[in-house]
Order: sequence, then C-alpha cells, then structure tokens
Amino acid sequence: MTATMPSDRVLPAPPSRLRMIGRGVRSFFRRAPLSAFWGVVVALIVGMAIAAPAIAPYQPLKSDFRSMQKPPDEKHWFGTDQIGRDTLSRVIYGSRASLTVALGAVLFGTTVGALWGLACGYFGGRFDMLSQRLIEFLQSFPDLILAMAIAMALGGGMTTVIVAIAITRIPFGGRVIRSVVLSLKELQYVEAARGLGASHWRLMFRHILPQCVAPYMILATTHLGVAIIIEASLGFLGVGIPPPSPTWGNMLSDALNAGLVPPWWLVLFPGLAITITVLAFNLLGDGIRDLLDPRLRGSV
Amino acid sequence: MYSYIARRLVFGALTVIGVSIMVFVIMRILPGDPLVALFGPEGYAKLTDNERAHYMAELGLSDPLWVQYLAWVKDIANGNFGRSFFRSESVADMILRRGPLTAEIALLSVMLSWIVGIPVAIISALRPNTIADSVARFASILFLAVPGFWVGMLIVLALLFWFGYRAPLTGASLFSDPKANLELVVGPAVVLGLGQAAYIARMGRSSLLEVIREDYVRTARAKGLNSKLVIAVHALPNALLPVITLSGVLLGLVLAGSIPVERAFATPGLGYAMFTAVSERDVFVMQNLVFLYAAVFVVLNILVDLTIAFLDPRIRLR
Repeated sequence: MTATMPSDRVLPAPPSRLRMIGRGVRSFFRRAPLSAFWGVVVALIVGMAIAAPAIAPYQPLKSDFRSMQKPPDEKHWFGTDQIGRDTLSRVIYGSRASLTVALGAVLFGTTVGALWGLACGYFGGRFDMLSQRLIEFLQSFPDLILAMAIAMALGGGMTTVIVAIAITRIPFGGRVIRSVVLSLKELQYVEAARGLGASHWRLMFRHILPQCVAPYMILATTHLGVAIIIEASLGFLGVGIPPPSPTWGNMLSDALNAGLVPPWWLVLFPGLAITITVLAFNLLGDGIRDLLDPRLRGSV
Repeated sequence: MYSYIARRLVFGALTVIGVSIMVFVIMRILPGDPLVALFGPEGYAKLTDNERAHYMAELGLSDPLWVQYLAWVKDIANGNFGRSFFRSESVADMILRRGPLTAEIALLSVMLSWIVGIPVAIISALRPNTIADSVARFASILFLAVPGFWVGMLIVLALLFWFGYRAPLTGASLFSDPKANLELVVGPAVVLGLGQAAYIARMGRSSLLEVIREDYVRTARAKGLNSKLVIAVHALPNALLPVITLSGVLLGLVLAGSIPVERAFATPGLGYAMFTAVSERDVFVMQNLVFLYAAVFVVLNILVDLTIAFLDPRIRLR
C-alpha cells in the first residue's frame, strides 16, 4: 500500500503563543501604522525607564559643584541645575516615577472602579443608587483638586500619589463598566446560565466580566495620559513624590524655586518629556480603542 | 420644566452636602495627623504628649468628629472660613481679595475656548479629512497632551527673553487699575483657554458631523436654503448643546488647572493661595478652599444644566 495512513500525515503545529502575539503586532502595524509608531515611542520610553541606570550619563542625585547651572554643552547635553545635577540624567530617571505612578494609579483606580461598576450593574437596586450618589460626589471635585487634597492628607510618597490619583479614576471605571454590565446581563447567554443555576459569583466573574475586558482596556489606556499630567502637576505644586527624587514635576518646581527667572533648559526639557510621553500614550490609546471597538472609530 | 428645575436644585443641594462630608473625611479622618501636617514630622516628634493634647484641644480636634463637622458647617454658613496658621489675613478676606482675579481668568478662558474652538470645529466638520481638518485635529491632540503650567512657564520665559517683559507681580483690581489687571489675567486665560479649546473643537466637530447627517438638515438644504444659513441657523444650535454641557465639565479643568498655571505665571489669585496652602500643609485653609472649589464647580454645573434645559425644547416643553 502506498497511500499513507491519515495518522502519518504531519499536521501543521498549532501556532505558538509567541507567534500569535507577533502576528497581532504585525497586523496592528499594517492596520494602524500611526498608532503603531506611537506604540514604539511608548516602548522606547518604558525601555528608558527600565534601563535608566545604564543610559543616564550621570547619577541623578549627584551634584557637581564645578558646573552649576550650566547651559547645555557636550558634557551635559541638557545642562545642569542650580546645584550641578545633570538635567538629562534627571529627565531619564524622572520617567521611572511618572510611569510607575501612572500605571499604578490607572490599574488600581480603573480596576476598583470596574469591580464596583460590575457590582452596581449586576445587583442594581438600593446598592446601585447609593453607589451612584457616591460616585457623583467624587465627580463633583475637579480631578487635580481631589488628588491634591488626598495626597496632602496622606502625606508625601509614591504610594500616596498613586492612591490619590487612583481615587480620581474610580468614577470613570464605575460608570462605564456599570452601563456595559447593565446591557450584558439582559443577554440570552447570561439568562441561560442563570437558568442552569449558576451562582451570582459565577455569573459575574465567569460570564459577564470577560465581556468587560475591551472597555476596561480602552478606559485604562485613555487615562494613562491624564494620570501622567496629574502626577506632574502634583509634583509641580509640591505634594507629589517628595524631592530630591527626580520627577518631571519636581524638576519644573525646582526650576521656579531657583529664582524669579528660571534658566530655560531647566524648564524646556522636563516639560518636553511630559508632553511627548502623554502624546504617545494618548495616541496609542486612540489606536487601541479603534482596534478593540470599531464602532467608536472617528468619534471624540 | 419646573419640576426638572426643582429636582436639579434639590440634587445640587444634596451634592454640596455630600461634598462637604467628603472634604471633611479626606482632611480629618484619613490617616495622617493634622499636627504632623502643621509641625512637620520632626517638629511633631519633639512635642510632648501634653503639648499634643493641648494643641488638639485648642484646634477643636479632640471633640467627637460629628461635633467638629457641625461646627465647621456652621462656620461656613456664617461666612467664617477660619484663618491660616501662617498668615494674619482671614481666609474669607483672602477669598474676597484673590477670588475675583481667578474668576476673571476662568471667565476669559471659557470665552476664549469658544472663540477658538467653535470655528475650528466648524471648519473641521464641513471639510472632513482635508488638510485643514488634519491640522486642526493634530493641534487639538497636541494641546490635550501639553501641561498648561509648562506652557505658562515657557510663555513667561519667552516674553522676558525676547521682550524684557514681565507681568506685574502684585494684585490689581479690574476697576482701579484695568491695565495691570489685564496684564495679570491674559497669560493664564490664554493657556487655560487653549487647553479647553482643544476639547471643544473635538467635541464640536463630532457633534456637528452627526447633526449634519440628520434628515431635517437635508430637508432645509433641499428646499433651496443657502448652505451657510443651513449650518448657522439649523445645524449649529443643535450641535452646540453637547458642547455647552462639555464646557460645564471643563470648568473643573479651569478651576483645578488655574492652580499650577497661576503658580507658573506667579499670578496672585486664589489658585496661587491654594498652592501656598498645600505646600505649607495648611490643613484648615486647604479644607475650606477645597470645599469652596468643589461647591463652585457643583453650582456652575447646575447653571449649565438649567441653561441646557432652557435651550433644549425637548426638556423645556416637557
């Protein structure tokens, strides 16, 4: 017999997880090249934060008293501050604080908000009504003012700043996920699961929650930029991560504290770092939103 | 409509009460001792237990919390906002002296945001996906990413560098010295106004794009009306309703944003006072100012809602 048995035929191996991710990234580049470009910028900034000790030419906290407040030259590309610290190194190290706070605050705030919204949407009733009032109270504060008050009451530090910004993000997660859950729980598959006797817990976490992943991702990515700006503002107002930690907001604040006329390089570079980072996160977020939810494409 | 207004007002009053409780919780109950905030960690460590108890009693901090809360609410109702630990001026006087400057900045910036944002939105929406639209969209994305206080610092530096100009550093009232007052207010208003204009342009564009596709706009055009007239008289009023609501939400951005921006410009307004209070850890001034800002934000949003109710016949005629 020459015909081979079916079992001899070599089946193509199922694509490995790595390859699937690779394919996803490639299609992202093809479908949304601009967003993918900003994704690369985000990756570079994250890489810069992780590899800060290797990239930074100087120690961020070390003063060189022979070159204080020097404009940019070939030794210090971004100049030095009033006590001779290298601005470039401080900008590079500053990305660590910004990214940690933004990621931490958005993950924490959006997750708490999303779980709260899940409970509100699922249970409804009096619990929901009370929660909605509470969320309204939270939203009656302008974000930055609420973050300032909480950061001041809790005292300075990175955890404090993360908590303060996270609390301002809770209402957004709560609102959006609640409305998603309200429409999901009427769907037939949920009803079917309920008919089969699934518990509340199982319905919420096995059947409804997985459907909330896309809106959750959209929420989280669109709020990263805002979180970075609030963190910088807190640092600028002196209630962020306390100095001498190099953060972009602290650097701008230090520049103003130096005197009535701050040297231009101490103002320009940290602000540029904030702007580029926020821009990259916002545009990557737009791209991810378009990818995950084509209905929203082109609207606000 | 009257029932709508009444309901909105009642909800507004409830929100202000809720906000006051929340401010109280944040400033007094969250872990973090007010004495530590006042004396600093080192100063606090030096105090003896007796001194600590003495200061707590003197500040009224050893009463039960609800007594403290009611005392605070009573003070506010009487217009008594307490005084700073570090300055002689009472907070009420400070608000009266510095408030108008910040209010002017807010008002000017909102006006500016409409003057800039709406025309940009119209151009973008009428010619979508042209060069003008792309430029406008990119500009608004850029303005959303730039921190206002940084732009403020750059403006101050640039004016000083190229023109040797610096806005006056002392307060000036609109009535006694309009020129100095304008010089103080213009910078922050421009920065905050452009920041809002970016949001307004985005929202206005998508809202107008939606309205233009409506049947009644097609009808108006089909009966031979001038297309400019159709946009101005038929489409724009409806497209602007969501923009007005957004503008109310953006007031929060202005109120909060004016704090760092006033610091950048060294404007002697209420935002600067807030910055001073927060950097001095002046708990009671902070508590009152945070409440004031939140209450103003709530009241302004009620006014915006009532304006919408008046402008939108679907609500007005109900």
